[in-house]
Amino acid sequence: MSQLLHDEQQQGNTQQTSCSAPSSISLKELSLELSGTKILKNVSFDLSSAGINCLVGPSGAGKSSLLRCLTLLYDNWQGKITMDGIAIQSWPKGADALRRHIGLIAQKPSIFPTSIYQNVIFGLSRQERKQDQQKWVEACLRKAALWDEVCNRLFDPASTLSIGQQQRLCIARVIALNPNVLLLDEPTSSLDPRSKQLIEASLYDLAKNIPVLCVTHDLEQAQRLQGQMIFMCDGKLIETAPTNDFFQSPKRLETREFLRWSVCNCDE
Amino acid sequence: MLKSPLYLLLISACMVALISATVLFWFLWDSSWPYWQAFGISQLWAPEWYPYESLYGLLPAIIGTAWAIFIAMIIAVPCGLAAAIVSSEILPRFWQGWLRLMVELLAGIPSVVYGLIALWLLLPWLQNSFDLLTGHSLLAAGMILSLMILPTIMLMSYDALRLIPIEQREAGMSLGMDWNQCLLRILLPQAWPSIRSGILLALGRALGETMAVMLVVGSMDRLPQPIYNILEPAQTLTSRIGREMGEAAFGSMHFSALIACGLVLAVMAICLSLLAQHHKPAVTQ
Repeated sequence: MSQLLHDEQQQGNTQQTSCSAPSSISLKELSLELSGTKILKNVSFDLSSAGINCLVGPSGAGKSSLLRCLTLLYDNWQGKITMDGIAIQSWPKGADALRRHIGLIAQKPSIFPTSIYQNVIFGLSRQERKQDQQKWVEACLRKAALWDEVCNRLFDPASTLSIGQQQRLCIARVIALNPNVLLLDEPTSSLDPRSKQLIEASLYDLAKNIPVLCVTHDLEQAQRLQGQMIFMCDGKLIETAPTNDFFQSPKRLETREFLRWSVCNCDE
Repeated sequence: MLKSPLYLLLISACMVALISATVLFWFLWDSSWPYWQAFGISQLWAPEWYPYESLYGLLPAIIGTAWAIFIAMIIAVPCGLAAAIVSSEILPRFWQGWLRLMVELLAGIPSVVYGLIALWLLLPWLQNSFDLLTGHSLLAAGMILSLMILPTIMLMSYDALRLIPIEQREAGMSLGMDWNQCLLRILLPQAWPSIRSGILLALGRALGETMAVMLVVGSMDRLPQPIYNILEPAQTLTSRIGREMGEAAFGSMHFSALIACGLVLAVMAICLSLLAQHHKPAVTQ
């Protein structure tokens, strides 16, 4: 981390952070059963080394469960998930180490009851908390589009932030770990348009360096993000396609029905 | 609102509490006044209590109380906290319910029963283990007190831990924290205000406990020799009051001295209560 900051200083630009080396993730025949119910059924797809991927589908499609499998919060799944060719079940140093490489942002922001500053560095180990920490915090907050709003009150309790700001703080907290992959579970579902816009801008920026997988119900947002669309329904992967193809010429009947249903609902 | 029966009832209840507290303190102060007038505050650190020779030093009982509470706390706090962590974070939900039920039962047992159990099990064990004359000792008092306050600490800590949203745990895990780190850096700091209140409440109960302590402490009105010898019989403020009040003539100096013990106890309990209330509330989201 300090090396990274050092490089940044040399470039005379502390506003930019760059994440770890991008990673590719591959899922093969991923299945999950919880309490006798099949949640995921043979899901296979690859996440390329950078760019945004939007995971869409109706409620109960298994989208959030898939993210939990990717971070080993669920570990009773079948199939194979690899990151950079390494099976995540046998990740060196275990699941905790893996989760430092795969950042997960939950739907509901979960900040820790401490200051804004401490929240950003919360995940860093003592060795990682080096002398340039303050600049690193600034860089992460800038990346999460939050710096301008909190720069004068970094040591205020994080609970004084609005929900949208708290969500961006959670993003900053994850960015601080230099993740190789970023997963987001409906990160803007309960936010105001301005916060949505800021988070989308932040994601767009992050996706230049690392793969970002964003679960969303908001198809307009998916269109704005302009990434690879992944459509799931009833635990199955139905279709993957670039955004324009997905919305303009969906190949599968389920996708067409989902889009029609979503458009009808939006109209209502 | 002012004429509402419920409002009047609530105000009356509040007044009852205020009047009771005032009467209680007035009684303690007024009844112990002859003692303070005759001997002064220096009796707090006078080492001898022998009513037949008008020696009413409070120090042995204060030291005995302090030792009994200290022993109780160093046993009950870690055990109660560990039990709360195990039941809240490790045990399956089914066993959590059972453990909680058992601990609640433990909390409901009358103190005299604890005293009898101690007479039956604890004292012979201490007698044999440390080669004591009877087993009556400060250690026995502290141990039985620890068992009595364990449920308070455990239940309040358990509730405090369960109140922390699951999302907090998952947020910690998502940052690559292992179970230990989540516990030490997320759960315990957030639960600490309630755990602290539980500890102080338990301390209050330990301070006021009479019957079980009276049965096991040995009621020896002298300082332990040396002062850290917890295997000697000793005396606590509550056990002294409980044991001697029946023998003291109403209005005598002995009676006043016993009420003075009660006043010292009440002041200690109030200090603890103020400490329990004076804490920062848990930061909520």
